[in-house]
Amino acid sequence: MPPVGRLEKFDMTTQTLAPVAAGTRSSERPVVIALAAMLGLGLLFMAGFSPAIAFHNAAHDFRHTQNFPCH
Amino acid sequence: MIIRLLSAALAAGFFAAAVVTGLELTLTSPLIVAAERYEQQDSPHQAAQALPIVLAHAGHDHAAPDAAPAWQPGPGLPRMAFTGLATLVGGVGYALLLGAVMLACGREPTPQVGLAFAVAGFASVALAPGLGLPPELPGSAAAPLAARQAWWVMTAAATGMGLYLITIRRALITILGGLVLIIVPHVVGAPQAPEAASELPAVLAAQFAARSLAISFVFWILIGLGFGWAWQAFARGTEPGAARA
Repeated sequence: MPPVGRLEKFDMTTQTLAPVAAGTRSSERPVVIALAAMLGLGLLFMAGFSPAIAFHNAAHDFRHTQNFPCH
Repeated sequence: MIIRLLSAALAAGFFAAAVVTGLELTLTSPLIVAAERYEQQDSPHQAAQALPIVLAHAGHDHAAPDAAPAWQPGPGLPRMAFTGLATLVGGVGYALLLGAVMLACGREPTPQVGLAFAVAGFASVALAPGLGLPPELPGSAAAPLAARQAWWVMTAAATGMGLYLITIRRALITILGGLVLIIVPHVVGAPQAPEAASELPAVLAAQFAARSLAISFVFWILIGLGFGWAWQAFARGTEPGAARA
């Protein structure tokens, strides 16, 4: 809905906040999904794949149990 | 929406990690510690010349003399605590991915939907990679790490994509494509370990593989159920427009 997008840009008053919120929810979705996926992959990389020795040693037993390739 | 997703992932990750850390500490950690004794006996000269990463299993007094000692959690409680921490980080990571996938597939996360996606997640990251690279104890002979990690990631991604094409797209062509994606990594084959005799008793390795898969399954189920439940529980306040301040 382009008019809503324009409202968001030029008229950020409290009165328009509710319709803007409703309008952005559908366009917000892909961003949220991408953010969550990136964050999730980052955490998994840290716990399961990071070659840093400290990470490896800290997560060692978890890596073996969850069948991440380890050393 | 991002708040709701993060909260649900944190809640599901905490919940699953609390249970699964207990399982890890009682079922698999004792086997790992037992296996490390065999690993240390295994060809001591290798420990001195191999990657520093091997030091992780070499114990405090067994490290190569000329290498700087790598940090590792102390035995006993610190090691258990770090296992728990890693499980928490991994659990929240899996929960975030699971939530992202459910939403990307246009499914409203509920405990039932979470359960279904969790089974697919288990099949993708535990079962399928485990077919080629069975869960292994320290001290087992194995192919180079980078090759195994690459195969693991490719297999998990291909299996996940294949399951998506089969169960969600459900057209003849996507089902065939999905089957191909699931099968191809196993036709290509996982990097194989060199034939090497290991002192490790086979019964330990077999026990470990079975327990590891069982624990992964529980982990995923709890993450799926927990995420679905938490997503519904956090619906109030964070959703429609009201709390966008």
